[in-house]
Amino acid sequence: MPTTLATPAGPARRAVRDPLVAGLVGLCLAAAAALVVAPPAPYLVNALGQLAAFAILAVSLDLVWGYLGILSLGHGLFFAIGGYVCAMHLLAQGVAATGVLPDFVQFMGWTRLPAYWTGLDHAAYALVLALAVAGLVAFVFGFASFRSRVNGVYFSIISQALVYVSMLLMYRNDTGLGGNNGMTGFPLLFGWPMGSPGVVTGLAVAALLTLAGVLTGTRLLVGSAIGRRMLACRDDETRLRTLGYSTTRLKLGIWCLSAMIAALAGILYVPQVGIINPRVLAPDLSIEIAVWVAIGGLGRLGGAVIGAILVNGLKFWLSAAMPEAWPFILSGLVLLVVLVLPNGLLDLVGWRPRPTWLRGAP
Amino acid sequence: MAELLRALLALCCLALLAVPACAAPLDRTRFAADLCGDGAAQVRAAEGLVQVGGDLPADDLTFAGGLLGALAERRLSCPADGTLLLDRPGAPEGHDALTGAVRPAPKARAPVLGLRQRAAVETARGIIALLTGPDPAARSAGLAVVERRIATVPAAVLDRARDTETDAALKATITGLAQAAALSSPDPARRRAAIAAVAASPSGTAQARLAALKGDPAYASDPAFRAALDAGLAQVSRAVAIGDGLAVVYNGLSFASILFMAAAGLAIIFGLMGVINLAQGEFIMLGAYATYGVQEAFRRFAPGLLDFYLVAAIPVAFGAVALVGIVVETLILRHLYRRPLMSLLATWAVSLFLVNLVRVTVGTQNLQFVMPAYVSGGVPLYADFVVTWNRLFAIAFAVATLVVTLLILRRTPLGLDIRAVTQNRDMAACLGLPTRRIDRLAFGLGSGLAGLAGVALCPIYSVNPGMGSGFIVDSFMVVVLGGVGSLVGTLVAALGVGGANVLIEPISGAVAAKVIVLVGIILFLQRRPEGLFAVRRRR
Repeated sequence: MPTTLATPAGPARRAVRDPLVAGLVGLCLAAAAALVVAPPAPYLVNALGQLAAFAILAVSLDLVWGYLGILSLGHGLFFAIGGYVCAMHLLAQGVAATGVLPDFVQFMGWTRLPAYWTGLDHAAYALVLALAVAGLVAFVFGFASFRSRVNGVYFSIISQALVYVSMLLMYRNDTGLGGNNGMTGFPLLFGWPMGSPGVVTGLAVAALLTLAGVLTGTRLLVGSAIGRRMLACRDDETRLRTLGYSTTRLKLGIWCLSAMIAALAGILYVPQVGIINPRVLAPDLSIEIAVWVAIGGLGRLGGAVIGAILVNGLKFWLSAAMPEAWPFILSGLVLLVVLVLPNGLLDLVGWRPRPTWLRGAP
Repeated sequence: MAELLRALLALCCLALLAVPACAAPLDRTRFAADLCGDGAAQVRAAEGLVQVGGDLPADDLTFAGGLLGALAERRLSCPADGTLLLDRPGAPEGHDALTGAVRPAPKARAPVLGLRQRAAVETARGIIALLTGPDPAARSAGLAVVERRIATVPAAVLDRARDTETDAALKATITGLAQAAALSSPDPARRRAAIAAVAASPSGTAQARLAALKGDPAYASDPAFRAALDAGLAQVSRAVAIGDGLAVVYNGLSFASILFMAAAGLAIIFGLMGVINLAQGEFIMLGAYATYGVQEAFRRFAPGLLDFYLVAAIPVAFGAVALVGIVVETLILRHLYRRPLMSLLATWAVSLFLVNLVRVTVGTQNLQFVMPAYVSGGVPLYADFVVTWNRLFAIAFAVATLVVTLLILRRTPLGLDIRAVTQNRDMAACLGLPTRRIDRLAFGLGSGLAGLAGVALCPIYSVNPGMGSGFIVDSFMVVVLGGVGSLVGTLVAALGVGGANVLIEPISGAVAAKVIVLVGIILFLQRRPEGLFAVRRRR
C-alpha cells in the first residue's frame, strides 16, 4: 500500500490554517469571555471546565497517537502525576494557612507533612515540579522503549502495565499521598475558598484558555517541519531513519511533550472535582482517553477535542440518566467508530478527504 | 548394643505403662462419704479423683461422674446411713449411690457447693467427661474445662484421653494440649522430653510454642533445658523454613500455571495476527461462568454425578468460549488486521460489553461452586507445607493443556497451517493456504484456551464479572517476555513471572513484586526486544 502524508503537501504555513482548530480556539476564547461576563449556574461552569481539561488530555494523546503512531494506554499516569502534585500543592497551601494537617496524614500518625512535600505550597514550584516529574517519567520510560525499538502493540500494553503498576503503588497507604482514599478536602486556592462561584469560574476560564493555548501550540507544532517529520515517522519509520533522521530523538521529544500536556490537564482537573485518588490510574480510564480520540477523529487535533467533549458530555448525562446502559452504549460506539468510521465521527461530516493512512506500526 | 538398649528402653516403658493399670480401684464408699462431708472433704475427694483419674477403670469414672454431677446440681442427699442420688432437687426418694436400690429420702442434708469446691468438682467432672463422654461433643466440652485448669491436671489423664480418642480433630487438639501441658510441667526431664516430642513434628505452631519457652526462667538457670530447647528450636526452624520454601515454590507453580493458561491463547493469537486481545480476561471469566452453568445443569438433571461437573465443564467451556472468540473474530477483528492499534480498542469494547452483559444478566455476586473431593483439602507433606488439591488440579490442568496445545501445533494440519502463517503470511497465502480461515480457527483455539483457564480458576479464585481484569496485565507481560508466537517462550515466561511474583511477595509485598517484575521486563526488553523465544519470520 502506498503511504502518503495525511496533511496536504505544501508550505508548512498552509497547514497552520486549520479551520477546525481555529474555530475551536475561537470557541474556547468566546466561552471563557462569556463565563466572565455572564456566568451560568456553577455546576454548568464546572462541567465546562472539566470537559476542557479532558479535551487537553485528548489532545496530548492525539499528538503521539495520531501524529506519531504511538498508542499509549498509560496516559492516565501523566494525568495523575499532574493531578497528584496539584492536590499536594492545595493541601500544602491549606496547611500553611490553617495549620491543620490533612486527614490521611493524621491517620498515618505523622505529626507533619512528609519531607518531599517541602515547598509545595508555592504554586510556581508545584507547577514546575508536576511538569518535570511527568516529563522525567515519560523520558525514562520512552528512552527505554524507543531505544530498543519497542513499538506498536508492544508499546501499548507495556504502557498499560506501567499505569496498572502505578495504580497498585498509589493504593498503598504508606506513600504519603493519601493511599486508597486519595486526597480531598482542599480548603483554599490562592487564598480563595474552594467552591466559591468566583473560584469555579476562574478554574473553568483557566482550563478553557489553556485548551486554546495547547491547541494553538500543538497546531503550530504539527504544521512545522517537526510535524512533517512526525508524520513521516508514523507512516514509515524505517525510511525516515534511513534518510538520516534520529527517530528515537524525535519520538522521545514529542512523547515527553505529550506527557507534560497530560500533566497540565491533570493540574486543571483536580481543583475542579476536588478529589484525586488512585482510580484515575485504572487501565480502563487510560483506554477511555484513546477512545475519545478514536471517536473524535484520530490524527486531527480538533477531532480529539470534539471526541473528548462528546464522549464525556454523553457520560455526564447518561451515567446519571441510565447508568446500566452507559457501558453498552460506549462499547457500541467504539465498535461503530472502529469498524465503520475509521477516522472517527468527523468522517460523518466529510470534514476532509479521508487520509490514506490506515496502517499502524507493524 | 543399640538394639539391646532400645529393647530395655521399651521394656521400661511397658513397665511404666503397666503400673497405672494395676492401680487400686476407687474406694467408692469413702468417695461418697467425702462428698457428703464438709468443704475440705469434698475438695479432697474431687482433687484425689483428678490425680488418679487417668488410671481408674471406666466404671469407677462413671460412678464418680454420677455423684459429682448430682452434687453440682443439688441432687445429692446425705442421710446418716449412706448417700442418695435424687432425680431432681428435693425429691422424696432416690437411688442409693453404692447399690443402686431405690430408697425413700428422709429429710436429710443436701450438701451445697462452695466457690472453692466448685472449681475442684468442675475439673473432676471435666476429666470424667473427657475420658468417658459418649460423643465427641461431650468429650470436647470436657476438654474445654480441662484446658482452663490445665495446671492441675496430671499428664496421665491427657495421655489416656489422646490414646482412646477416636475423633481425629479432637485427638489433634488433645495432643496439642498435652504437649503444652508437658512443656510447662515442673519436672525438668519431662519438659525436655516434651521439647523433643514437639520438635519431632515441626510446624509454625510448634515453632511459636518453643520460642515462647525462651522467656522461661529455666532457660537462664538450667543448662540442660537450655541446650534441649536450643536444639529443638533449631530443628523446628530449619524444617519450617524448608516447608515454607516448598510452599512458595508450589504456590508459584500454581500461579504460573494459571498465567500460562491465560497467556497461551494470547500468545498464539498475537503471534499469528499481531492482535492483542484485551478481552482475553473476559474470555477467562466466560469460561468460569460456563463451568458454573455446567454445575447447575448437573444439579438439576443429574445430581448423583454432581462431583464430576468440573470434568464435564472442560469441553463445554472450551467450546463455548471458542465459539464466542470465532464470532468476535468474524464480526470485528477480521476488519482490523491492518490496524492492530484499533484492534486494541475494539477488543476493549468487547470486554466492556461482556463484563456488563454478565453483570446485568447474572449479577455481580461471587458464584458459589460445589467443591468435589478431588479439589478440596490436601495432604500435609512436610512441616507447614500442604499440597492442596485445588492448586494441584490447576497445575495438572496446565500441564495437560500445554501437552495438548503442543500436539495441536506440531502434529495436526491446523497446527502446521498456523505455524506457516505465523512465520510468513504472504508466502503461506501464495502457497494456497486460506489464511483468513486459519486466523479464525486459531482465534477460536486461543479463546478456547482462555475458557480452559476459567475452568482451572474456579476451585481457587472467586468468580465474578470483574475477575478477568486481575490476570490480564500479568498475562500481557508474560506474552511480551516470552516472545511472539512461541508456546515454549510463554511457558518459560509464565514460570518466571509467576515465580518472581511469589518469591518477592513475602519479602517486600505484592505491589513491590509487581513493580519489580515490570521493571525487570522493561530492562530485559532492552537486550532482547523480541522476547525470550522469538519465532524467526518475515513480514
